[in-house]
Amino acid sequence: MRALIWSELYKLVHQRMTYLALAAILIIEGVVIFSAYFQGNTILDILLDNLRDSFYFEGNLLNGHLLVYLILNSLWFHLPLILMIVSAGLLTTEYKDKTLQMVMLQPVNRTSFLLSKYVVAIIFSLGVVLVLMVSSMGVSYAVFGGGDLVVYLGSLNFFPHEEAFQRILWAYGCGTLTVIFFSVVSVTIAVLVRETTIAWIASAFFLIVANLLLKVDFGDGWFGKYSFVKLNDTWQQLFYQDINWTQIHTNNALILGYTLLFMVIGVIVFKRRDLL
Amino acid sequence: MRSWINLLGGMLLSQISYGQEIDPDLVMAKERLDAIASFEADLDLTVDISFVNMPPKSAKMSYQKGKSTTFSSEDFILIPKRGLDFSLSEIFKYSFITVDRGFEQYSGRTCKLLNIIPTDSKADFSIASLALDTLTHQVIFSEINTKKDGAYQMLMSYDDNQQAIPGRVEVSFEIERIRIPLQYMGKEVEVDKAQMKAEGLRRGRIILEIEAYDVQLVK
Amino acid sequence: MILTGQSLTKTYGSLSALTDVDIACAAGTIYGLLGANGAGKTTLFRILLGLIKPNKGKVIINSDRIKPLGGIIEKPAAYEYLSAQQNLRLFSKIQKAPADKTTIENKLKAVGLSPERKDPVRNFSLGMKQRLGIAIALLNDPECLVLDEPFSGLDPIGIASLRSLIQELATKQGLSVLVSSHIVDELSKVCDELIILKEGQIVNRGATQEIISACTESYLISGPEITQTDLWEKVDAKMLRQSVQVFVGAEEIGEIISVLAKKGIQITSCTPEISMSKLFDTDTK
Repeated sequence: MRALIWSELYKLVHQRMTYLALAAILIIEGVVIFSAYFQGNTILDILLDNLRDSFYFEGNLLNGHLLVYLILNSLWFHLPLILMIVSAGLLTTEYKDKTLQMVMLQPVNRTSFLLSKYVVAIIFSLGVVLVLMVSSMGVSYAVFGGGDLVVYLGSLNFFPHEEAFQRILWAYGCGTLTVIFFSVVSVTIAVLVRETTIAWIASAFFLIVANLLLKVDFGDGWFGKYSFVKLNDTWQQLFYQDINWTQIHTNNALILGYTLLFMVIGVIVFKRRDLL
Repeated sequence: MRSWINLLGGMLLSQISYGQEIDPDLVMAKERLDAIASFEADLDLTVDISFVNMPPKSAKMSYQKGKSTTFSSEDFILIPKRGLDFSLSEIFKYSFITVDRGFEQYSGRTCKLLNIIPTDSKADFSIASLALDTLTHQVIFSEINTKKDGAYQMLMSYDDNQQAIPGRVEVSFEIERIRIPLQYMGKEVEVDKAQMKAEGLRRGRIILEIEAYDVQLVK
Repeated sequence: MILTGQSLTKTYGSLSALTDVDIACAAGTIYGLLGANGAGKTTLFRILLGLIKPNKGKVIINSDRIKPLGGIIEKPAAYEYLSAQQNLRLFSKIQKAPADKTTIENKLKAVGLSPERKDPVRNFSLGMKQRLGIAIALLNDPECLVLDEPFSGLDPIGIASLRSLIQELATKQGLSVLVSSHIVDELSKVCDELIILKEGQIVNRGATQEIISACTESYLISGPEITQTDLWEKVDAKMLRQSVQVFVGAEEIGEIISVLAKKGIQITSCTPEISMSKLFDTDTK
């Protein structure tokens, strides 16, 4: 298994697509930072409009924390989309180039092989989120400095610098689980559909539908509480004044469960299916 | 010549009416406040607004008579537009009359309640109520109905009877419920329009703990 | 037998790809699987190599090696963005075969590839890719090598070179080699035994030379002055430009060649013209 993971990482770092994806993600991040900066003032104006009647404001809210928060809001669609393309490509390119067949002609266990794909998709997702986290926070704090973070989640929540930083770190942690979930799903989609273009379309479709359903209120029923589409913004829970850790842990456990479920489905299908 | 006599008579009459209608306790309280030339203060601000969650903040305040009060803080702070006017200069800026409303209890102290009604249309408030401790000549409570910014109250307490600057000020005000376009919401929150309308106007409160130092009096 | 397939049957919906195919491969023997496109060669190879499961029948592998079978299906597939060395190292590692530099270089040399080439495989010719594919297939020393259409797309030099490599593997290393093609000439030159597959069924099998002889209806004799003799008036022959198609059996062709030799007529080649109808329709099992 370790050798397989090594080989998958070896392939990943030698593929041009990996670097194209990384470049795309960094460009998107740049655009998001740029737009967040310009959007930031408008958002603050709207958020603080009512308070302006009664208060003078002292201090800067358009700071690194707000930018990182706005980046967090934007990234959880763009990032999974690109990661899903790369993750699905880990398998579909092998189908297309017939290298999968070549690998399967070697004494390699099918389950181990697919699990190594999943592991590498997860490692890559983690790496990209880490790069994004470090770069987005680095740029935002270096250019715009620290300060209090203001977030609107039904109420205006202000967090002091240190607390905001910690909450953002936790939010990245929760968001990472979502990103991993989508990456794993895309590998499973690749197992199911095998063709590169179809896998990309199916992955994007899955992500878009999940994002659309996230905004629909399904009430307090099972679907509203426990379906994976409702778990994708758990990271936002970190920006409520009182963090509901039980809810966050439950959501994270559920999203991990869904991730494992999709992996198991992928492995079962991959093992049983003829390799044409 | 006659017109000059009329003008002089009118001026004299207005001075007499001013002198007659300003409550002497208020004059004494005002004189105490007017005596402060400048001071520095450390502020602890606690915001109590239902839709604002903000931890207590610290700031430094610098007051100089006749100049705008300045604030500085390492954090983001909300400074109430009203309530830090310790000299009550906004009230005393234009001519007014006072109406004695008798005595009432405020913070366990018996205070003289006065209504202040501006006689000059340039005043930005329609009526104000002040509760004065007639023994210490300290303003304990004020309620000011502004023409533009709604009504706000200030409840003040002092570290001792000698202080002109309160050690604690509780400013209450009316504030409109926040309305934010959906696209700016961090997370989709339940939007109950009826509830929002009903709760359109809310009361907010900001509590200021003031530790004044370097108080300079007018020489 | 190293590899045995018994009653192998595979269907895709209503389409029958293989029907009751029996096959057995012994060490040191080269088997040729001949069949037209769509005859079921690749399906049979995929079943033998465990890529797909048969609907009926079973594959028995009589080997205790880590990798009993090595193979290439359809076309050699290596990671195009990696060099030959990188590919070989990667494939070695995933199957826990030695992956040190010397071993990798020796493996490349064994299939006639230069270890000096560091450029990506996408720059390689098809013949070179075929060789790399064989090098990968040979990792961990399998006892049986299954090559699906290995000559397809190769130039004549590439074909000759690959042919000698296959023969070397069978004779020197004692490998059992199973090669498929739809071109009989390619297989007849390299295989010890031929298996003829038609519409998913084996219709003919046996020693290559026996099958070739049995199915040969004529010979094409070529030479610069081959038409300049009266011999052709005595046998059933058809004149072509610099060659003659002689309609005789295997037992008579030797005599004709010796007559031509006595007359001093130069012969550049003599190739049997195999009857496809005989090859595919006659069951000589």
